[in-house]
Amino acid sequence: MHTKFTAPFATRHAGPSWSMLLPIVGTLMMAAAWGPRAHAGDLYIACSAGVTLSMADMRDVFLGEKQFAGPVKLLPVDNGAAQTDFLEKVMKMDATKYTTAWTKKSFRDGSTPPSVKSGDGEVVEFLKHTPGGCGYLGAPPPAGLTLIGKI
Amino acid sequence: MIRSIRRNARAICLGALLAAGVPSVIWAAEASPDTATLHKELEQSIKMIDALAARVKELESKLASIPAAALAAPPPVAAAPAPAPADAARLQAVEQQINQIETANASRQGDDTGLPVHGFADVDIGNHNPFHAYEKGASLNNLDLYLTPKLGGKWLSLFELNFEVDFAGNVGVDIERGQLGYQFSDAATVWVGRFHTPYGYVNTALHHGVWLNDSLRRPAFLMFEDQGGVLPAHTVGAWLTGADRGDGGKVLYDVFAGNGQQIIDGLIDMRSGGNDHGKLIYGGRLGYQWTAGPAEGLLVGANAFESRIEDNQIPEDLTEVRVAGAYAVYDTDTWEVLSEAYLFDNVDVYQSEGTHRSNAYFVQAGYRLPSFIPYARYERAHLDQTDQYFAQQMTGFSYYRSAAGFRRDLNPKVAIKFEVANTHYTDRALANPNLFFARLPVTSFNEFLAQLAIRF
Repeated sequence: MHTKFTAPFATRHAGPSWSMLLPIVGTLMMAAAWGPRAHAGDLYIACSAGVTLSMADMRDVFLGEKQFAGPVKLLPVDNGAAQTDFLEKVMKMDATKYTTAWTKKSFRDGSTPPSVKSGDGEVVEFLKHTPGGCGYLGAPPPAGLTLIGKI
Repeated sequence: MIRSIRRNARAICLGALLAAGVPSVIWAAEASPDTATLHKELEQSIKMIDALAARVKELESKLASIPAAALAAPPPVAAAPAPAPADAARLQAVEQQINQIETANASRQGDDTGLPVHGFADVDIGNHNPFHAYEKGASLNNLDLYLTPKLGGKWLSLFELNFEVDFAGNVGVDIERGQLGYQFSDAATVWVGRFHTPYGYVNTALHHGVWLNDSLRRPAFLMFEDQGGVLPAHTVGAWLTGADRGDGGKVLYDVFAGNGQQIIDGLIDMRSGGNDHGKLIYGGRLGYQWTAGPAEGLLVGANAFESRIEDNQIPEDLTEVRVAGAYAVYDTDTWEVLSEAYLFDNVDVYQSEGTHRSNAYFVQAGYRLPSFIPYARYERAHLDQTDQYFAQQMTGFSYYRSAAGFRRDLNPKVAIKFEVANTHYTDRALANPNLFFARLPVTSFNEFLAQLAIRF
């Protein structure tokens, strides 16, 4: 014998039920609760082991104006997942201006712009395996890398 | 019935996941005894979600903190209930794939993924050709490609290949710059090959990229050799350049030497294959650029060079060209002010006609408004026509020109420019090389020019 089930979140007749709105409501709650915090996340500037630089050098490093730290040739990489934050907080410019600056730099003296990595994982791997590598992360760098600063 | 229960349970679970943190006791309080089964399933689903969330969080933290080698054999999750064996195997496979992709991408630096080609191009229209004034109408100026192949370590390379339309309407191809270099430090890079002679600002800032220039064209006396310029814009030889950074600014320097140029059929040729007398062009440039403080964006400097430049006349002329110059640039987000001045103190070596003095200068000011950039320019050249160095050049005449125009960027890669200009020749009429150097009866003319310039 089957017991008749009364669903508390659904109507008996066909058509949209309010339970279908739960994902939307949940999404809105999540956006309201966590959206601003995600935007205001910290940015960690890191370089490969042995690279000594200051936060004040970073703008020049990522514009190709400073290409050496002592005898070490620097190889900056952009982090596609955090680039907008980085350009705003560190470079003080938008993506268009950054690209234009590199177009001029590359055309004038043969420098190549930083390659773009997809996220923290790729940047960390690059810094671990590349002497002179510099990048930025959305989380603290692991042991073995040099933390230049947090912004 | 059961299907209906499961459907509702899934909706609730999804809502619970997205709400992320809304306490499950709220749901429990509202449930009736009939929903005991539903509640049980919900609890199980939430446990599964928690287990999966813990697993994802652990994987994320491991990716950021544990060497890739260690990731190949992850330890079992002790705190969270283990997912089903099939799910665990799938997760591990995905994890390994991610590790392999990230390691491969991280180690790739672009030198094994092909060679990017970038460049510039422009099309002009007006009552005169902006680069060959004796022609009118629409004109294709150039397609300028540049390549910067990565050589690894501290080695550099730069090639600028230009497809350009000459004064006869023919398309020619030039390796405008072909440089191989080695970087010792920020303060010293050595280049060998063909490069743009480091004098003033414009010649080594704009190169052949018309899009880079806020104005429609350079001053006439600073154009390239085949477009009316009177200076040796290209040198084939060696070039040492660098910058010494300090607080608030940096010192810039250049030292170079190369083949002495030759004037062939009215145009300066940079002798890419060497010259026949073995004489050199040599010189240097020294500047200071403010990078902070109230003078940020200001660059001032001086330059000088000397060269022995012959021509292909009979009898041959040989001139010792001695040039000194100064320049000042103010380049900020709003202002672009450019100025350069040159003094010539040339000595006739063959013909022995003594020393000849000439000068040339220009100033251009532009203001970068949000929607367009208006600019104005004045340029003047007093060139001694008894100096064989100028007399033998097709466009080695004295002139003055006033110009005004504006640039509008239609998008980050496309710009449209307009310029009106008035030009006076003061010691020669306009030369048309297509009419065997005939001097046309034109000493003054107005230009109305438009240009569409792109970069890519």
